[in-house]
Amino acid sequence: MWSLENLAGGAVLLGLVMYAVFGGADFGGGIWTAFASGPLAREQRESLFHAIGPVWETNHVWLIFVVVTLFTCFPTGFGALFTVLLVPLVIVLIGINFRGAAFAFRHFGRRGRDHIPFMAGIFAVSSILTPFALGMAVTASVTGKILLIDGRVHAEPWFWLSPFTLVGGLVGMGVCAYLAPIYMAVRTDGELREDFRPRGIIAGLALGILTAVEVPVAMMDAPLFAGRLLASPAAFVVVLAVIFGIATQILLWKSRFLSAQIGAAGTVGLTITGFVAAMYPDFLAGQLTLAGAAAPHATLVAYFAILAVGTIILVPSLLFLYWTFRGEPDTELP
Amino acid sequence: MDHIVAARILMGISLGFHIVYSTIGIGLPLLLMIAEWRALRTGDELFHQLARHWIRPAGVLFAIGAVSGTVLSFELGFLWPRFMSFSGPIIGLAFSMEGFAFFTEAIFLALYIYGAERLSRGMLFFCTIPLTVASAFSAVFVISANAWMNTPAGFSLANGVLVDVHPLQAFANPAWAHEALHGTMAAYVATGFAMAGVSAAAMLRGRNLDLNKRALTLSLAVASVALPLMLISGDWAATILAVQQKPKLAAMEALFTTTRGAPLVIAGWPDPATGTVRYGIKIPKLLSLLAHRDFDAVVEGLDAFPPGTTPDPRIVHPFFDLMVGSSFIMVGAAAWFWWLRWRRREVPQGKWQLRALLFASPFGMIALESGWLVTEFGRQPWIAQGRMRVAEGVTTQSGIGLVLLTFLIVYLALTAGLLWLLFRPSSAGTGMETKQEVRHVEP
Repeated sequence: MWSLENLAGGAVLLGLVMYAVFGGADFGGGIWTAFASGPLAREQRESLFHAIGPVWETNHVWLIFVVVTLFTCFPTGFGALFTVLLVPLVIVLIGINFRGAAFAFRHFGRRGRDHIPFMAGIFAVSSILTPFALGMAVTASVTGKILLIDGRVHAEPWFWLSPFTLVGGLVGMGVCAYLAPIYMAVRTDGELREDFRPRGIIAGLALGILTAVEVPVAMMDAPLFAGRLLASPAAFVVVLAVIFGIATQILLWKSRFLSAQIGAAGTVGLTITGFVAAMYPDFLAGQLTLAGAAAPHATLVAYFAILAVGTIILVPSLLFLYWTFRGEPDTELP
Repeated sequence: MDHIVAARILMGISLGFHIVYSTIGIGLPLLLMIAEWRALRTGDELFHQLARHWIRPAGVLFAIGAVSGTVLSFELGFLWPRFMSFSGPIIGLAFSMEGFAFFTEAIFLALYIYGAERLSRGMLFFCTIPLTVASAFSAVFVISANAWMNTPAGFSLANGVLVDVHPLQAFANPAWAHEALHGTMAAYVATGFAMAGVSAAAMLRGRNLDLNKRALTLSLAVASVALPLMLISGDWAATILAVQQKPKLAAMEALFTTTRGAPLVIAGWPDPATGTVRYGIKIPKLLSLLAHRDFDAVVEGLDAFPPGTTPDPRIVHPFFDLMVGSSFIMVGAAAWFWWLRWRRREVPQGKWQLRALLFASPFGMIALESGWLVTEFGRQPWIAQGRMRVAEGVTTQSGIGLVLLTFLIVYLALTAGLLWLLFRPSSAGTGMETKQEVRHVEP
């Protein structure tokens, strides 16, 4: 259980959860700039842009952390995955580039308080597209349709496009759209906060429905994965995720925003953990185990040494960042 | 299109694009740190304003550097999966370290850029220190991965399977030290000259003279300290190449046949068919001296190696000359500036002086890009020198030509966006002014 390759799998999981919980909220912010509505639509949009500004690049690094951990610790699995998932991953990259650049261009190109609808539009569209394509890619990786024959990877060209992965893409979007308004409710007050609260509740409902729908779809489309998801220990994590999700809805209903924020992050973290737990002990479902995909022992030891030193630097820096930019988003920024 | 060619072009364009932004991302933090330090030490507010003035380029370029860097990490997987299956456990460690350096960089740049209203001046300055250190380390780390491709070390293979991995030996591989020093200094030179050019252009238009005089002096000072180190580390690199990467050196210098007392060939067009360099200027025995510190030393030419294992000098030699030539243009422009600065005891503002600096300003980046092309083209046909050929590392997936086209469009769009931002009328400095107005209102 506590073998180095399992721990390395844990590091990938950690990176995915952190990317979803932090980076996902930034994408969600982008989604909600597109769907800002009501008398305070402008304020909703502005506060989202201001909240994202200082943190999105840091949050984005978690994705790079995941990719680097994959190719360092699971090189053969990485090579196989990225070969067959070429198309959805290219879409992810296009989205990431346009989203980041549009944000920066809009932010640093502003004169006074003008809005630059073109850049904001690109930002919003790519904020929707990226988590959708990433959700498709991640769910496609567990379908069991990626085959290793004589050490070479094979998959149907469009295997990543199926009901299971399409719902997976929607879940990816749903995760982002769910987190952002709940985080924003903590950071705002008054009418603006009351705008974000129902948006969080609605997105929570949508996410709950989507993940519930994904289970029967998986039974048809990814039976191996579905079978493991419904057996312990993955099932246990899934139940926990459901409990967290329901509790978060209640907390939102009662306007307990800080607890709701923790609950929402927990819901997303547990959902991803359940998903990954259903893969265990495989890297590619039914084809390649974690142990079979893992790098040599010396590499894993060195990786964890780097991880330990990196954590010592990273954790206080991250805390300083989030502590500095806590609370009400600035409206007067460079 | 042949998918190896498409994969190489795509990787090359992605890296060439990313290098511009990451270079500024390494160099600009140092300028910010020095400016904030000067402001604190001397109480000269203009230095602080100068640093805040650089926030716009720092913020935009860092953002594009971050997202375009992501493209690279993905491309390692979908262009070179077989290379990564082999080398991931080794160079992945360098990338892991770079990842943490990059995290630190992102965090402290955000604190510096967005923290003006929330942090004290001392704390703002403090943030530039981990920012500068982390960005330099990210270069030193990631260059280790490139150096490993040039001089693979720290492992052995048994039946094509990695065994006996020594992470430290692999990280500190033979080419790492000189590449890391040369590459990191190059980032300071390129950024220093680019920023000096921006200031020179502004001064030519008579804009913001006091601010730009400081900007010009500061950025040129950083470049001028790093520039001699470039020449020294470049010379050091050549002596090491002469031992470790002989085919690359031969291609750089367009030396077709092994020669005792080899001449240095400047410019010219290498012709593999005849084994000569057309129109080149030959300086007798200089290559032997530079490579081996001996006028009569033997330098191996391309003929010393089996056919099909050496790079094509037609794409290596010209870029090498471009790199060296660029450095002399910069040395000339900087020397002229400091000479006048010393004679007149003030920042020279003559039209021709400023024009010379403006002319020299892109050559740091040109030198850096061509130096990178030299090391990459000079390793061909290998992806990991002597261990794996490019053709053995490339993906088996089809349609790479289409992916290339897609990313060409993405990069064109990003460049168009940058130009839009750059030429957006009267946007420069507006952020500064509004903020100062806000400050005045505050009690």
